Amino acid sequence: MANRAMIGKTFPPVTATIEADSIKTFARALGDRNPLYVDDAAAKASAFGAIVAPPTYPIAFMAQSMAGAAGSFEELGLNFMTLVHGEQEFEYQRPVTAGEELTLTARIADVSERQARSGTLDILVLETTATDAAGKPVFASRQTLVSRRM
Amino acid sequence: MLKFDEVKEGDTLPPLVRGPITKEEIAGYSQAAGDPNPMHVDEEFAKAAGYPGVFAQGMLSMGYLGQYVTQLAGVGNVKLLQSRFVKITWPGETITCRARVAGKEVDAQGNRLVRVDLSTENETGEVKLSGRAVVTAS
Repeated sequence: MANRAMIGKTFPPVTATIEADSIKTFARALGDRNPLYVDDAAAKASAFGAIVAPPTYPIAFMAQSMAGAAGSFEELGLNFMTLVHGEQEFEYQRPVTAGEELTLTARIADVSERQARSGTLDILVLETTATDAAGKPVFASRQTLVSRRM
Repeated sequence: MLKFDEVKEGDTLPPLVRGPITKEEIAGYSQAAGDPNPMHVDEEFAKAAGYPGVFAQGMLSMGYLGQYVTQLAGVGNVKLLQSRFVKITWPGETITCRARVAGKEVDAQGNRLVRVDLSTENETGEVKLSGRAVVTAS
């Protein structure tokens, strides 16, 4: 059941180290072989100076980084068996690049429930901001997770 | 690359077609993205949850949209990317990414921004993802 007491809860910041190999694997899995994502020489010669991550790459390290901090889905009032991603938004200051270390801070922006034909839906909105070593913002993510109560 | 002076509200941009999506691609994406959800790789799990079988991650299709807007605007020029996951994308479907110019403006810093509405659709025009992006244009 949705736990509205969780609204506003901020999780302790976690660190994500961005690895070139992980970006390359992700880009290939997406079928997106932009040279800046997969070719060291092309990336190094570019204005970015390192392998660049595709726009949706943060999902790969956000989940990993948040796994410990965000606790179990049950604690958040979500049912893992029926959990789906309802909505995702990224706002970028600049692309993520390989070799950097990002600090991720997540916050529960909203918890709600809604009646649907299939039953009661629990809805959680998680906002995550990423800052670089200089403390400058890199991107912000807003994800809506939805599960059906069983 | 998207030219600010050459697009106007209502313009549709050349689409990107991807697919047909395979179960191997879906499983490969789960692995690369570190997605632990068995719904995308385990047929029995998906059936137990009431689905006919495994299906694609919403984020895989959003990845296609990321590829699409980056091809339109260039690496580093995507300022916002948003998707609502409307309908499930199934293995075997061919997905067309579409963009329509929703507006343009020059912001306080002098950036020339173009807003586009996005969608992914299958062969029959069924909308799977509905979203939007903001990109900087030259």
